Amino acid sequence: MDRARRLPSAFEAALAEGRWRRAGPPLSPCATRRAPGPAPTHHAPYIPLPGYVQRVSISAFRNPLTGGWPERFRIRSVRASGNQRVVKSVVELRDITKSFGGVSALKGVSFEVRAGEVHALLGENGAGKSTLIRIIAGSHVPDQGEIRVEGELVRFSSPRDARRRGIATVYQELLLFPDLTVAENIFLGNAPRTRLGALDWAATRARARALLDALDSPDLDVDAKVGGLSVANRQRVEIAKALSQDPRVLIMDEPTASLAQADVERLMAVVRRLRERGVAVIYVSHRMQEIFDLADRVTVLRDGAYIGTRTIGEVTEDVLISMMVGRSIDQLFPKSDAPRGRTLLEVKNLSFRRAFRDVSLSVRQGEILGLAGLVGAGRTEVALTLFGINPATSGEILVDGKTVTISSPRRARDLGIAYIPEDRGQQGLIRSQTIRENLSLPILDHLSRASFVELAMEAKHAREAIERFGIRARGPEMMVRQLSGGNQQKVVLAKWLGAEPRILIMDEPTRGIDVGAKAEIHALMSKLAGQGLAIVMISSELPEVLGMSDRVLVMNRGRVVAAFDRAEATPDAVGSAMTRAGPGEDAA
Amino acid sequence: MDTLVATGGVARRPSRLSRIVDAYGQELVVSAAVLVLMAVAGAVNRRFLSQTNLTSLFSGNAYVAVAAIGMSMVIISGNIDVSVGSLIGVLATIAGTLAVKGYPIWLAWLFPVLVGVLVDAFIGALVAYARIPAIVVTLGFLSILKGGLISATQGAWIGNLPPAFFIAQFRLFGIPSPICFATVLTVLAALWMRYSALGRAIYAVGGNSDAARAVGIRTRPMVVFIFALNGFFAGIAAILFGTQLQVIQSTVPPNLELNVITASVIGGVSILGGTGTVVGSSLAAVLFAVISSSLIFLNVSAYWLRAVLGLMILATVLADMARRRRIG
Amino acid sequence: MRISLRSLLRHETVLGVLSVIALAVLARQSDRFFTTDNILNQGRLVSELGLVALTMTFVIVTGGIDLSVGSILGLVAILIGVFWKAGLPLPLAVILAVGLGGVAGLVNGLIITRFRVPPLIATLATLALYRGLAEGISQSRSVRGYPEYFYVLGQGEVGGMPTQLWLLLAGMVVAAVILGRTTFGRATYAVGANETAARFSGVAVDRTKLLIYTASGLVAGLSGAILVSRVTTTRSDMGMGLELDAITAVVLGGTSIFGGRGTVAGTVLGLVLIQALRNGLALAGVKGDGTIVVIGLVLILAILVTNIFGRDGDG
Repeated sequence: MDRARRLPSAFEAALAEGRWRRAGPPLSPCATRRAPGPAPTHHAPYIPLPGYVQRVSISAFRNPLTGGWPERFRIRSVRASGNQRVVKSVVELRDITKSFGGVSALKGVSFEVRAGEVHALLGENGAGKSTLIRIIAGSHVPDQGEIRVEGELVRFSSPRDARRRGIATVYQELLLFPDLTVAENIFLGNAPRTRLGALDWAATRARARALLDALDSPDLDVDAKVGGLSVANRQRVEIAKALSQDPRVLIMDEPTASLAQADVERLMAVVRRLRERGVAVIYVSHRMQEIFDLADRVTVLRDGAYIGTRTIGEVTEDVLISMMVGRSIDQLFPKSDAPRGRTLLEVKNLSFRRAFRDVSLSVRQGEILGLAGLVGAGRTEVALTLFGINPATSGEILVDGKTVTISSPRRARDLGIAYIPEDRGQQGLIRSQTIRENLSLPILDHLSRASFVELAMEAKHAREAIERFGIRARGPEMMVRQLSGGNQQKVVLAKWLGAEPRILIMDEPTRGIDVGAKAEIHALMSKLAGQGLAIVMISSELPEVLGMSDRVLVMNRGRVVAAFDRAEATPDAVGSAMTRAGPGEDAA
Repeated sequence: MDTLVATGGVARRPSRLSRIVDAYGQELVVSAAVLVLMAVAGAVNRRFLSQTNLTSLFSGNAYVAVAAIGMSMVIISGNIDVSVGSLIGVLATIAGTLAVKGYPIWLAWLFPVLVGVLVDAFIGALVAYARIPAIVVTLGFLSILKGGLISATQGAWIGNLPPAFFIAQFRLFGIPSPICFATVLTVLAALWMRYSALGRAIYAVGGNSDAARAVGIRTRPMVVFIFALNGFFAGIAAILFGTQLQVIQSTVPPNLELNVITASVIGGVSILGGTGTVVGSSLAAVLFAVISSSLIFLNVSAYWLRAVLGLMILATVLADMARRRRIG
Repeated sequence: MRISLRSLLRHETVLGVLSVIALAVLARQSDRFFTTDNILNQGRLVSELGLVALTMTFVIVTGGIDLSVGSILGLVAILIGVFWKAGLPLPLAVILAVGLGGVAGLVNGLIITRFRVPPLIATLATLALYRGLAEGISQSRSVRGYPEYFYVLGQGEVGGMPTQLWLLLAGMVVAAVILGRTTFGRATYAVGANETAARFSGVAVDRTKLLIYTASGLVAGLSGAILVSRVTTTRSDMGMGLELDAITAVVLGGTSIFGGRGTVAGTVLGLVLIQALRNGLALAGVKGDGTIVVIGLVLILAILVTNIFGRDGDG
């Protein structure tokens, strides 16, 4: 077993040039002591040398964020791989093709990511981003193409193979165990063991603590059950879980989708630190701001094909959008002015348990009221109360000047209130039923006589709705499941507009929808306002709120903390209001 | 769907004591209930607390605790098994038949356990690979096993068993062997489920099977394995059950699957899967033994026992649901 | 629902073919099988199960399950005896007892909707509770000696067909119409397919479930009255295992155990198949215990086959 005693001077020079980063402590001939704790099965950090690759196996648990080594460690082996071209890419995909049941998801896509870079992956919904990262993560096997990790051809038959190669993933749907503790969630699957082979809970808890502290989360209790945590905290656990594997590649799928600004900053700091440590980060996001703040390079996919890779410094947002969409979009928010009529909805001091308190608002005909705030601010909860899912515990609701109690969605509908939910798949549609069935569900009593459904009326209603909203489908008997995201959202809209509401509450109306369909939906909203509807729009995308709303209300922690007119609503004003305290409270 | 938003991470670290109470609350409640009930019954009727009564009480019902170990694992993994009562009846009959026919005693003990493992592994395969819900598979097997047993034996009693067969009547260090079995198996199972990766995988599969798969746990073989374990414990329970009396009735003990499931549920295993301990279910099995015995000593007709069991399951489950809703 | 109708049609054609084959085989085994007498008698015997299977169809289509129907049947049977022995005129006793069966179903529904307990465990618990009440109240004593006119229900005939068969046929028509053509039926399918979306679409989810579980209890009670009238006695173990048969019939008929799909017609076919099997086995000399083995097997096989066929159309 060779042990490098001293780094060749050529390498020192390379270090000085900044071409290579140190991934571990300098090799020392005295480094033979056993590390505390069990021998990990991690891959080895490597120190690339010009001319040949040397692999060093070190037995110890290194803090992946700070790069700190415990005081004692042991070098297991040092191996020289002979004369090879220096490998620059950590992961390289070539000509990847994948289809699911005849539907092509990726066609001839190539992609590579290097150590110590943040590589953003951009594309509309259905562009193939999630298929691509799942292939890298080992969940899917490509039909064609090759995957190379550090130059070596690999085939992942399961996510475990990928993890063993040092690829960790943080998905959008958090994959956590609600009844288990934070510590156990982080280390499940690769928990430290005692000498007897049993699970070492003390070590698990200690390491979880260390990881969370390094992630700037000292307030997160390692013994708390994950089920009781907020979304942002659960995501921190998920990230800690990914980092516990000491990965060399970290894939993050829309990590900031549900995060408050403060958490977003924290996350970006973590990503930057990982980059310094030499980890390759694949960052899937559609938030341009973050991509420009964080990424080194960006790759764009469109309709399953590889469009191009650019360095961040050399490209602008418009170029990226046109790469994503294939055309340029100039008018994303075509909000036109509509004549304001009378107040259709007025809410006074509304409260529901602990979810929100003392909320007051009003909306007029032809007006779009934007409801801004962080995730968890209570906006959806207000909508659910107005829609009758969670009837209010105190306060007043007036519809068109008359006080009402809204005890169920049916009642809300009768009052002319419609709610387009956040979670389209679960709350908005019955995916296993046909378009026709979905469209008629809220208005069955109008489409029937003496409880008997009038099939002819129903079919006509469905056909008309498909045409009116431009739903791209084979016919009313098509299963909603088979429609694209944008078309599904149209079905949801059509379904509720069929109930002829006067007040429309839309919760994240364009989330997860590609840029093209987004514009269509915004145009529709403008048109509806023009027809005299009062619209409440809940959105976490500041540009959308600012672009579409006539007035903006900001909520934080269950209270309304600010109100702005269209003219007063600037990104700064609204953004800072989102973390402001409510009356009689401390700031968030 | 979260209609109530949880208020962020825990800001303060709970004390050690409160952490233990949180984790083991249910087990503590059950133990307390056992003690209280014993005190009450003893107060009403002194003979309840006599050594003979208590010994026969615990010894005669230890097999329920053993079966509940396997059942807890099944429920924690997110499934259920309503056929365990019929299985135990079948296995006990097999054991008796082998013993009577002159096979070596150890074979008469071990073969039924093996059969139990195989049958339940098959059930597990149907659940995992054929994707038939566990309730349906085990409901079907309940009938298949029960009908098969009665058809084959006509309910005949098996007598003339060799005396060495009656393992349940032996004593180890003065303690009846069923109690030894139940205690040792409970402790071993509890340690295994706490300190081994495979044991934790049971919780993972029940807690979130997608996440379990993402972590690399092969959920389908796991389910088969867990059911096979259930069969193993059912087999041992069958031996203990069958060797209590001098004869084996080739019938399915009434209420047994209900007892076992209730023991698990009351012992803290949530019917939604993902949480609970085997210690809790064994304690709950003890609780039942105490309850059924107290009913006799309190002069309540035994015919009310099933109603009491039903009420207890309901109460526990309602409390569990209420607790979950508060946590959100 | 045409697309799933297509896959269901596939399932029902398979079922129809199976039924024809089964009937043909059984007819060959015994020449007593295809006589009018036998068929009518089988119709009489299957009515209790049939009625319960009809409401069970609704329950399973909503994605739930009701394991307590057998216990409710037994409880109502006991209560009939208790009320009658207590001096109530028999018609009143029957109505009251059957009504209490409905209350038992309502309790199930309340536990499921108000307390959010999964139907599986809720009805498992009430299975024990109601059976326990039946055993406790009756102390395992049976009641006999009902007046003659009572037996018309279970043993009599109207226009050449057994009384309860009329009830069953009427029930089939009503159930099919409600499930297939009314808004309540649509609500049932919606709740089973995606309860959250149904709620968000204005469907009165809780009320739908409550009605269905109450109906399940009520009908189980009615079947109890029919059974008592048929066997002229009440015992606390009546209806044991009924839930298995009902669920088997429903699932055999193509209803998905996960909810959202299923028809009354399918359940009827399933019933026919099960009763034919039972009858055939009995004629071939197989005793009751052997029959439940076969039913158990049929249940598992039925879902196995559904899984293989229905995988494309499944949610």
